[in-house]
Amino acid sequence: MKTIGLLSVLFTGILLMIAVVDFPDWGDPHSPANSYLSTHYIEDVEEETAVPNMVTAVLADYRAFDTMLETSVVFVAGIAIFAILRSIDGTSLAGTTRRLQRRGRSKKEKRKGQGRNRRDEMVAAAEREAAKPDLIVQTTVRLLMPTIQLFALYVIAHGHHSPGGGFQGGVILAAGLILVAMSFGLENTLAQVPEKLSLQLGNLGVLIFAGTGVLCLLLGANFLDYHVLAAIYPATDEIMARSHSMLVVEIGVGFTVMSMLYLIYANLSSHGDLKKGL
Amino acid sequence: MTEGMGIGPIEIVSMALIGSGVIFFAGAVAGILRFPDYYTRIHAAGKGDTLSTLLIALGFAVYNLGDLSFHNILTSIKILMICVFIFITGPTTTHVLMEAGYALGFKHWKKDGDQEEEEP
Repeated sequence: MKTIGLLSVLFTGILLMIAVVDFPDWGDPHSPANSYLSTHYIEDVEEETAVPNMVTAVLADYRAFDTMLETSVVFVAGIAIFAILRSIDGTSLAGTTRRLQRRGRSKKEKRKGQGRNRRDEMVAAAEREAAKPDLIVQTTVRLLMPTIQLFALYVIAHGHHSPGGGFQGGVILAAGLILVAMSFGLENTLAQVPEKLSLQLGNLGVLIFAGTGVLCLLLGANFLDYHVLAAIYPATDEIMARSHSMLVVEIGVGFTVMSMLYLIYANLSSHGDLKKGL
Repeated sequence: MTEGMGIGPIEIVSMALIGSGVIFFAGAVAGILRFPDYYTRIHAAGKGDTLSTLLIALGFAVYNLGDLSFHNILTSIKILMICVFIFITGPTTTHVLMEAGYALGFKHWKKDGDQEEEEP
């Protein structure tokens, strides 16, 4: 079995290496990527989509397929970590990791003697200290959270004109949630933003993105070909419809990135039992 | 300075602010390198970071007002908001680091030198 695996890896590797030879030279001005596509993007993006930031336009319109599947990758990563780590009854993985840790520690103690023990005591004391609510940190987080969330919404909504978009804004939103989880405790945060809700939001984000594409299909255009959506949006022409659809799609990306990063943090920091975070 | 750009009062003020910010940064770096234990080093880093970032950002805000227009005033206000943000978050970070160090049991530095070996 190992030999077959090795052979298939070698075969694929050789195929890939052969394919590399067919690439255009580095920086070749006559390569297909440089000869007409880039110029088209640089010159015509604003006319065609009414979006000044051509990175956003390429990301969310011309290459929307790619972005949709990237969003799905984030979603799948979150689901995979959820599936591997999450233990519903509290016995499976969290218990196992802790048992393994304890066993490893006792072996080391036999070998190393006292030094390891002292270190563990210090870490335990630090954990006890960290578990206490800290007034200063909590007040700061209270002050900053609205700002952080407002800025994240700004980043999502202003991606057409400045650097930003769904991924970046979603990450900022998730960072805000993780900040709350670190300062107020994971359990309190999960009472506010439950696991179920964040799973639903992650689903909703991918659904918004793919649903926009399906809507285009239903109106008679290609998948994610936004210009037909002018029939649905009030008071827009076909160019502005592309611009608005990018915003819709970015909002979907924001939902997915935020909820999945938050879920990944919650599972990783609590060994999957969602009881005690960092 | 090149010939085309005169040095007005606004440039002088912003240069003074940015220059003092850089000096405080240098002080913070010296503190991090030279101070004897965890707490004093964090003290130097926190103080220097907050104050010098504040001064440099203020210098930028003042320099930006050299050519007065609505757009530039708006940018300066945004820079001031960054200042407020740093003013709140910097000391909090220092506080959290200090507390974590105290909980981990790092020993204070004493002048007579019989301090235990407990460096991070």
